[in-house]
Amino acid sequence: MSKGSRDRADKARRIVEQQRLAERRRTVTLWTSVAVVAVLIIAGVIGYSMVSGKDEKTQTALVTPSVAVDEGTAFAVGSGPVTVDLYEDFMCPICKNFESASSAGLRQLATAGKVTLRYHVVSILDRASNGTEYSTRSAGAAAAAAEEGKFTEFHDALYADQPEENSDGLSNAKIIEIGKSIGLTSDKFAEAVNAGMYTAWATKATETFSARHFNGTPTIVVNGTQVTGPQDSVPTLDLITQAVDKAAG
Amino acid sequence: METTTRSAVWPWISTLARVGLAAVWLIAGATKIGDLAESARAVNAYQLVSYDVAKMIGGVQPFLEIGLGVLLLIGLATRLTAAISAVLLVIFMAGIVWAWTKGLRIDCGCFSSGGELGAGRNTTYGLDILRDLGFLALAGVLLWRPRTRYSIDGVLMGESS
Repeated sequence: MSKGSRDRADKARRIVEQQRLAERRRTVTLWTSVAVVAVLIIAGVIGYSMVSGKDEKTQTALVTPSVAVDEGTAFAVGSGPVTVDLYEDFMCPICKNFESASSAGLRQLATAGKVTLRYHVVSILDRASNGTEYSTRSAGAAAAAAEEGKFTEFHDALYADQPEENSDGLSNAKIIEIGKSIGLTSDKFAEAVNAGMYTAWATKATETFSARHFNGTPTIVVNGTQVTGPQDSVPTLDLITQAVDKAAG
Repeated sequence: METTTRSAVWPWISTLARVGLAAVWLIAGATKIGDLAESARAVNAYQLVSYDVAKMIGGVQPFLEIGLGVLLLIGLATRLTAAISAVLLVIFMAGIVWAWTKGLRIDCGCFSSGGELGAGRNTTYGLDILRDLGFLALAGVLLWRPRTRYSIDGVLMGESS
């Protein structure tokens, strides 16, 4: 073989080799891409089914307290013409501050027949109780208390004993004990707390809060309009009273 | 044969970018996956979609993030995963810009469960966007030079790694 033809053979071999490599690259790219898309679709489907699975569970387990108002998501105090909606989480320290500052004044407005106070117990701080989901448990317990006509007493007692954020929260036994101290002595209350009878209801109440595009607690709404202090702070009793007077006309 | 220093160094730079971007997605997903309801509320806080849609996005997003993180970590179809990462990052940045221009006072929920900021806490939209631009740069490196070391791609292509 002459030198020239050997060179040509080498060159041809190299070209074939390069083509084979390029072919392999194309095949690998195609199938790895298919694999990536498949993995991401599966991941998405897992997330989707977890959400819809939880939705289904909420719907089947839903027990709405008979005394609840506002699509069964709140408990009313008083029956005045102006509606004041309070969205609070039992784990939220700012809610406790708000309660100490404004609760008495708001109850007076309700007693005087000026407003209907609607307490929405939402549970957006479940992550702040080391996995014991204190927000949801306490909200469910409040529903059980409401069912026995003791919502406000129980609500106030829970705030008086508010656990630290990122602690385990109050145990069910402690919640039942608090109930007893304000006259909730029935087995029904204790059973409802231990069985988590109103867990699904607490989820629904929280979702209603979110669906109304509220994000934080406490949220105070007077006749459908959210009331806030300067720079989105929690409003003072004065500000709320002004909004009530304005709404009353 | 290309044996300049530059071509030898790029796979290593890309490898760093790949692992870095994988860490970003894994951490972002892990902070949300434990509380999907909270993840849904973080999406809802942007007020871009109805709560029902936010709930679905909030449920799917953490799983997608972890999926992308794992795929980048093992280096499967790196250019494609980088492209998907880039698209997601651009969507997230658009969301932050939207929240900013609308004057919403929210945590972006990028590496946390997000939601409304308490009184006295300031928004950090500018920093959030800068950070996302950094992540976008990582994705850009991989789009441009997807060949990396220690990747499944490399093994399948028959490259020594």
